[in-house]
Amino acid sequence: MNSSIIEILTPRYELAWYPWAVQYFFLIAISYSALLLSLPGTIGRGQFAQRWQPMARLALLITLTCTLVAPVALLADLHQPMRFWHFYANATSTSWMSIGSILLPLYLFSVLGYVWLAWRPALLQARQGHGFAAGVARLLSAGDWQVRRSVLTIVALTATVFAAGIMLYTGAEIAIIKARPLWHTNWLPVMFVTTGMVAAAGLVLVLNRFMSPAREGRSEINRQGLKVILVAMLVSAFVAAAWLLSGLSGHSESVAAALESVQANSDWRLSAIWALLAGVILFAFAAIALKARTQSAAISRWVWLVGILALHVGWAFRWMVLMEVQTVAKNTAGYYQLVVELGSYGLMGIIGTFGLWLAVLLLVDLFIPWQGQAHQRPHQSLAAEAQHG
Amino acid sequence: MDFARRAILGQIAKLTAGAALVPLASLSFSPSAHASPINSQPARREGDASKRYGMIIDLRQCIGCQACTVSCHIENEAPMGSFRTIVSQYEVSNKSTGDMATMVLPRLCNHCENPPCVPVCPVQATFQRKDGIVVVDNEACVGCAYCVQACPYDARFINKETQTADKCTFCAHRLEANLLPACVESCVGGARIIGDMRDPNSQISKMIAQHRSELMVLKPEQGTLPQVYYLGMDERFLSRPQAEPALWDVRDIDGKEIGYEFLDH
Ligand code: SF4
Ligand code: SF4
Ligand code: SF4
Repeated sequence: MNSSIIEILTPRYELAWYPWAVQYFFLIAISYSALLLSLPGTIGRGQFAQRWQPMARLALLITLTCTLVAPVALLADLHQPMRFWHFYANATSTSWMSIGSILLPLYLFSVLGYVWLAWRPALLQARQGHGFAAGVARLLSAGDWQVRRSVLTIVALTATVFAAGIMLYTGAEIAIIKARPLWHTNWLPVMFVTTGMVAAAGLVLVLNRFMSPAREGRSEINRQGLKVILVAMLVSAFVAAAWLLSGLSGHSESVAAALESVQANSDWRLSAIWALLAGVILFAFAAIALKARTQSAAISRWVWLVGILALHVGWAFRWMVLMEVQTVAKNTAGYYQLVVELGSYGLMGIIGTFGLWLAVLLLVDLFIPWQGQAHQRPHQSLAAEAQHG
Repeated sequence: MDFARRAILGQIAKLTAGAALVPLASLSFSPSAHASPINSQPARREGDASKRYGMIIDLRQCIGCQACTVSCHIENEAPMGSFRTIVSQYEVSNKSTGDMATMVLPRLCNHCENPPCVPVCPVQATFQRKDGIVVVDNEACVGCAYCVQACPYDARFINKETQTADKCTFCAHRLEANLLPACVESCVGGARIIGDMRDPNSQISKMIAQHRSELMVLKPEQGTLPQVYYLGMDERFLSRPQAEPALWDVRDIDGKEIGYEFLDH
């Protein structure tokens, strides 16, 4: 049609979900991914399990801290946080958010139980000592009774089942929204999980640099973390390709909407280019680091930077999906401005969440012997180190 | 290709409006919810089940004066910068002849027959009454804004004063007092017609019967079955119009910006 249209008047619509939402989705994804990473070393048996034990210690620490902080960010994204109890007074089976509100505490408590049982042998050992730490250990271990290993396994598997529930609900909650074609694709929930795994493995690399005891398995952890990143990035690329194909073959409006936005909006163009670049760089660096590990031990000093990049990829994906997509006007022409304000709904919220997480991490590090029993099987550990280092 | 797309959209629009109207003829057995698997509609509650409110907007009568915008704003005390209804305005120019025309398009909640905003509400604060009006119980609303995301028409917002979801209620409080909604009352051209579509003698029922084939709804492809019908609609405006975004900057009396200036122009 040979006409052009100018939209003259439209109101400003503010984005309804704040950056808090990004923080929640980021932390909870790291939480369930780290939970998965902790499983082989914690409940597995035999040679394989032994190799994943050092990784499991870090992963447990990560899953605990992220699980504790994530709900805070979620609560903060409500405009009426004090009314959170309404979720339980009016549970609604038609709403994924309501289902999530029931799953989340179940997940939280199962993770607490799992991590507690996994750390309890170390706590029992710490009881013997003197001073404040021993007092805390006495308190936290709640007696010196022993539990059978099968109990730990059962609790771990329960937590895993709830973790699957969290993966499902966080993905479905967004993907069912037909009003935003960009969200309305079944590939999105899968992508949340794979990029979550990238971020979790990235955090493992970072904490491995700064918090791991020097005694054992450091380079092994790096190697495992890099492998996880590589595999998760490959799967993510595959998922993205599948999404693109489903769009090009006319089966997904999501792709059409994305391409339209990239065409029409320079912010989107920049973000798309950056996303592609960051993904490729991350993959390349992870691959290089993994290869180089066998030659140079010095590289382990900068591997944590790959971890930071992995965290960035996981976070930026959520920022794009949750914040940028909200700027697409649903009814009118154009895009709304994404203004991240300084206050607690904006920048301070983002920084605050990370600050809170850091505080929880340091508290746990201070009071809980999460690094496990230092004197257990020293020979084996050293042998493992020598073999891989 | 663009033309083909529009033509198809137009077909869908008319057909869907028709489909939305069909059940109204036989509304004695109301479409109440049965089992509610995920994202089906929860049961309707409150309101008079013998009625079904709807609105016709006769674009041929609308002059784009924004009297409805203002009167709704005053009646319902929406905070500055947030609107339950607004009249979008477009300038359409014919590239070959240079002719210009103005398109005005009042927008409000469509009180959809299949409202996506209702099932997503985690606390059932947003619900549909038996008379079809979709309302928010702002004592129950937790302000999660999930409904704001789910509405395809940007008809909802989080009210900055109450920190809960807000939207057009068809002025249910006025209807109950036998008054017309503020926007209808103030409409200069008589372009907004509200009424009970189950009453065959209401003005809206008569107009629906008369114009059935010309009525259109917004974004019919979303399957929401809107119950705000447009008469004299141009198909190019049914969905997100392919338009240059506005270059406006609206300020309140203190000079604080409350309107919008688009980037990328
Ligand atoms: S227009 Fe939006 S808010 Fe109104 S009923 Fe339909 S989906 Fe809900
Ligand atoms: S903002 Fe309020 S009305 Fe909307 S979905 Fe959340 S609780 Fe329901
Ligand atoms: S019916 Fe009432 S609330 Fe809805 S747009 Fe008109 S004046 Fe506003």
